[in-house]
Amino acid sequence: MREPQIAPPKLNVTFAVLGIAFLAIFSWVFFHEEGAEWRSAQSRFRQIEVRVKNPHQLAQAAEVGGLRQIWLPELNRVDRCTTCHLGIDDPAFVNAPAPFTTHPGTWLTTHPPERFGCTTCHDGQGEATDVEHAAHRPTELFDRPMRPLETIEANCGTCHRSLDPPEAPRLAEGRRLIVASGCVSCHDIPGFEGMTFSGPALDSIGNKIRPAWLGGWLHDPKSYLPNSKMADFRLTPNEIASLQAFLLSLRAQLPLDSTGVRWNRANTDAGRALFGELRCVTCHAIEGRGGTMGPELTRIGDKVKRDWLFSFLKDPHRAQPATAMLQYRLTDDQLRDLTAFLLEEYRTGDAGPEPPPAPADPLAIAAGRETFIRRGCASCHHLAGIPDSGHLGPSLAGVADRDPEQLTYGAPGVRRTIENYLFLKLEKPDALVQPSLMPTFHFTPIQAADIALALTGLRKTELPASYVITHDPPPAYTPAGPFGELATRYRCMSCHSVNGSGGTLSTVPFDRIGSQLQRDYIATYLMNPGAVRVSVEARMPVFHMLKDEAQTIATYFDSVFRDAAIDTYDTQFSPADERRGGELYAQFGCAGCHQLNTKGGYVGPDLTDTGRRLKPGWIAAWLASPEKYKPGTLQPDYGLSAADVRALTAYLSGLGRATRTTPVTKPGGPVSR
Amino acid sequence: MKNTHGFGGFVGFVRFGGFGGFVGFVVLAAGCHRAVAPPPSDPMLDAIRAEERTAGLSYAEGQGRQLFGQYCSTCHGDEGKGDGQNASNLNPAPPDFTTSKTMKDAAYVRRVIAEGSAAVGRSPLSPPWGKSLRAQEIEYLVAYCHALASKKS
Repeated sequence: MREPQIAPPKLNVTFAVLGIAFLAIFSWVFFHEEGAEWRSAQSRFRQIEVRVKNPHQLAQAAEVGGLRQIWLPELNRVDRCTTCHLGIDDPAFVNAPAPFTTHPGTWLTTHPPERFGCTTCHDGQGEATDVEHAAHRPTELFDRPMRPLETIEANCGTCHRSLDPPEAPRLAEGRRLIVASGCVSCHDIPGFEGMTFSGPALDSIGNKIRPAWLGGWLHDPKSYLPNSKMADFRLTPNEIASLQAFLLSLRAQLPLDSTGVRWNRANTDAGRALFGELRCVTCHAIEGRGGTMGPELTRIGDKVKRDWLFSFLKDPHRAQPATAMLQYRLTDDQLRDLTAFLLEEYRTGDAGPEPPPAPADPLAIAAGRETFIRRGCASCHHLAGIPDSGHLGPSLAGVADRDPEQLTYGAPGVRRTIENYLFLKLEKPDALVQPSLMPTFHFTPIQAADIALALTGLRKTELPASYVITHDPPPAYTPAGPFGELATRYRCMSCHSVNGSGGTLSTVPFDRIGSQLQRDYIATYLMNPGAVRVSVEARMPVFHMLKDEAQTIATYFDSVFRDAAIDTYDTQFSPADERRGGELYAQFGCAGCHQLNTKGGYVGPDLTDTGRRLKPGWIAAWLASPEKYKPGTLQPDYGLSAADVRALTAYLSGLGRATRTTPVTKPGGPVSR
Repeated sequence: MKNTHGFGGFVGFVRFGGFGGFVGFVVLAAGCHRAVAPPPSDPMLDAIRAEERTAGLSYAEGQGRQLFGQYCSTCHGDEGKGDGQNASNLNPAPPDFTTSKTMKDAAYVRRVIAEGSAAVGRSPLSPPWGKSLRAQEIEYLVAYCHALASKKS
């Protein structure tokens, strides 16, 4: 019988199949690579280039071909985006279609691609060379698809870690809200280290407030203060009742003795006049209008007891050592009138007589104390005998790198991203995880979005130090000696700053104030602060300061807060300088913004008595480079020559002086060209 | 027999076709179902887009609006109508941007912002901002000015 010969034909078939397969794979690879998206993109680019450039530019243009990539070993990135985005750094392509169009704005100048690549700012998959795999749109496949422009500022925050990053208003607003909402009391947040957020001291609150008010406040703080700093803790009626009992039992300190005050003689009209004169609205709003440093006073009469308010106005620092409020120098009669006015004018109805203290229920007080600790009240309100709750919430370091799949979103159909999680959590903290200790802040959607955006920049990845831009908080400034005492009493640092430390309400930091202002002017101004800039609503309070005190402060300023670069300016001006300065004043249209002898605009300060107010060296320094001394100022930098600065300085420092070096023809007349 | 067979084949073919069509329909329906399923929502992005829709401005224009509020509105007015609080002190008065044709000329607007109105032969009352603002900030302002002039109201 013949051996069946099966093997050879099988081998033949195998070879045949393999041969065809190799040929197929080879052709596929060949055609696939030849027909790759990026190749057709590059040939389209060449067609456009011929249209948008002239022959000379074309001759100079670099030959485009092959894959292009930016390799950033420090950032662990390879970005091949420029393989297709070929016109990105060439202004000739400004009107070219995507993906060839020029990068908008001046971003590539400040962030050169060879240092930052593309995905550092935009996200997406930089290594990919086709549209889909580069993750230009949100996709299930990739963790980090390209960001839409609306949220791109989150990535600014990865490198720009100062509180006020430039040209990123959403990020800046998000960070401002993080500070203003007190997130740092419960969360450890990188970039916000060392910041504290505290509410008023509560150790004598039983003597301060009317009991009826407290229940409503604990139930819904926004019902009393629409801009309340305290969030809504969603307390149960039982928790509210026990907290009320506990808080009302806190009576560590009695108000200052006011038994000698004859309340029946209180003059609320005089109180109203004082309220205006003291400039209370610089810090306290009435019906939404006014400052925000102190609490709104629209319904203060519903809240506090008379004797406490009198005592607080007399010496705010005794009851609230950390308050930003200054201690005015007022007589007891003035304090009485002001107290009576506030309680009478700013209330919803007749509050009735103050009820006697309720009998203390030890059980309720103990339960309230327990609630106080459990809900983390002590994170913001420090109270003797109760330890600071510390950070009750989780650390937010690297929160942007948490796995979105591991988080809950409270509703189906939400794209699982860290932004959406943070946004939903901020909007309704109890909707995602129950029970949640986090209070409800009643953020508007855009506020929640801005905070979520700011938090999304908090990555785990360590960046090389050369990429990180931080702004360390300045060391606290606490002056000593007689000036220190006055600065404490009048709370100068609530509004003014030294070396970046202090308040931001005032536009005048102290750093070089002795080189800016005339000593006598400071002393006079402190006694009776008027408006230097008529259009600015926030004004310096009228302290009722003693003459000696004003002199002490003026002398201290004049000797301590000096800037040698300003002081050394040559102040011997020639009459010609002064005359030419007057001409320049008209030529530059200064009167468009400044008043001079009741003529001109009121954007900048009135210049009528500049010579008595400002030192010449400062006028010159300011005119030469206003942005250097006050970023964001409305005084434009005209790029003046030293001679023009000198002429204007000569002219301005002659204004308002009793004796002039030379008569000057005033530009005067209506403002025109 | 052959015919019958043929007919049976035809019936089989129809049956198979019907079955195949059914399967195809199911697959197609499943495919369509997938296609009509709503894409996942992006509540955070929606909040920002809603805000920008309300303002009716693009990102760059929105940035420009903020800068305009800080540097320009005192004279030019919040909406660029030339009715800012300082406008009455100025002669010539600031123009109404919303009816201005030159506001759409980006190069011209850029020049006036950077070098001041004196640079284009007008009064010196609109000062130069080129040394105070970054180039990008001026670009935002140019975009917002264009939006002001294009607004239909």
